Amino acid sequence: MNSIHLILCAVAAITLDLCTLVLIITAYREKRSANKNWDWVANSMELAEQGMTYALGCDEVLIGRHASADIRLPDLSVSRYHAMMTVSNGRWTIKDLNSKSGIFVNGNPVHEILLHENDVIKIGNRRLIFRKRRDNNVR
Amino acid sequence: MYANPVAYVFSCIFVLLAHSAMLANAFFYGNYSDIKDLIILGGAVVALDIVYFIAILFFKQISYAVDFLLILILNMSVIFQSCFGGVHLDIKHYVTCIAALVSCKAGFLICRNYKKLQDKKYIFYIGICILMVMIVLFAGERSMWIKIGSFSVQPSEFIKPLFVLACATSVMDQQKKHKILFVNVVYENIALFAMTAVICLFQWWCRDLGSLPTFVGIYCCGFLLRICYPKAKFSRKKLIFACIILLIFCAVAYKFAPEYVQQRLHVDIWNDKNGDGYQQSRALIGIANGGWFGVGPGKGYLHNIPAYESDIVFSTICEEWGLLYGLMMVCVILIMVAVPLINPPRSYYHATMSTGVCAAFVVQMALNIFGSCNLIPFTGVTIPFVSAGGSSMVVSGFMIGMLIACQSPVFRESASNKKQKEVPAWRWSE
Repeated sequence: MNSIHLILCAVAAITLDLCTLVLIITAYREKRSANKNWDWVANSMELAEQGMTYALGCDEVLIGRHASADIRLPDLSVSRYHAMMTVSNGRWTIKDLNSKSGIFVNGNPVHEILLHENDVIKIGNRRLIFRKRRDNNVR
Repeated sequence: MYANPVAYVFSCIFVLLAHSAMLANAFFYGNYSDIKDLIILGGAVVALDIVYFIAILFFKQISYAVDFLLILILNMSVIFQSCFGGVHLDIKHYVTCIAALVSCKAGFLICRNYKKLQDKKYIFYIGICILMVMIVLFAGERSMWIKIGSFSVQPSEFIKPLFVLACATSVMDQQKKHKILFVNVVYENIALFAMTAVICLFQWWCRDLGSLPTFVGIYCCGFLLRICYPKAKFSRKKLIFACIILLIFCAVAYKFAPEYVQQRLHVDIWNDKNGDGYQQSRALIGIANGGWFGVGPGKGYLHNIPAYESDIVFSTICEEWGLLYGLMMVCVILIMVAVPLINPPRSYYHATMSTGVCAAFVVQMALNIFGSCNLIPFTGVTIPFVSAGGSSMVVSGFMIGMLIACQSPVFRESASNKKQKEVPAWRWSE
């Protein structure tokens, strides 16, 4: 094999490597637009309680006392796996997972209900407000 | 429409550059008698690239990275397959690549709306049963192939995407528990386990044991996501129990494997070079002969060995194009299935679907490449998108469509549920 062949093969392989690298970078850049799309799907909502906000980052958000729940509420009145929030078409629904103390939305006991902006969700002794996401810098 | 035109243009240019570099390599060192053959090959590759670049703009997606990787690997495979034994456009493979692209888009359109599929999940079970009945009725004696005129179809390949969808759609029903005696059971899990067992027994009966690890891999991924569903409920006990069951399954399979499988497990390819070790020994010699940069497109010897374009395709590529190209090809497929790690799916359905597709591709690739390199017994499993074969190509395309659907999901309700009552912004009755 002569040296020109080697150089040509190496150049072709490097071009292939570069192409793959560019496509990986493209995938990373597209992540930003995917996040934007998710904000639209999730309607930019969040759960808030005194001094705390919880992002709703996927289509199923588990609320409970257990350490690995998506939204952890370390309170004995909250069951380990208390409620599940799901999103569809920009609308969030909350569902009770057979918890001991149940869920109250705006004071009404519910098993499964569609949530609206500024609904107050009572989970055990904790009260969470379902609201539009706010910028951290805005007071 | 594409959100970032600069990224789109750059991706197009680099994919075209990569294919052009490969064609230049074939031009300078390829084995061709007439330059027209190479011009036709180059024209076909560039035309397919350009048509696909334009076509993807008509599909509303959030991510297009997998599309670019798909066209990159498909046209790489067209160039590889067309250069085996001499440069000339392999029209059959070219047509199957187009079919793979079409089925990819079909897969994307079908699978992106999970609510729609969730309601019709029983169709997947029925589809798998119909395919198995078709194989029993129309295939030959304990075979997986159905011959229609001059070409053959392998219906067992079509079971793979249906099985992935069955795994994905039933993962959302983990809350629907029913008490039978003292045990809480989920009917969907039992149905899926039964379906897995039936498929495994069927593969055993058809003597297609090469595909068996693919189905087991898909089920294992589905099972793993089930015991993690929802996140908090990951059970270490269940995982250990499942591993023990898997080990017992492997031990039983090893004990009761058919004679020809036992023979393959213990074959010494160098002592039996012209018998059971014929393909593997030639494949290893081919890889060694090719070195890092290969002997030149179309100048290899392996195209004289049976199944050079499917079962030992990795070795054939390594011989003609070099180990560097062989590894790059593997790398591109792995990056394609690893894209969900960059942009993670937003639901358990999409996550299960992604892992199922990844498991199928990785297991298939591992079986083929490690089989060619004599690290595991030789199987007739294909490398997705690279090996020749219509059924495999169409199914692989469909499964990549499922992966793209996971990157560009649609979270929509059915039209009947869309209109909701207007409710005041602040309601308080406590």
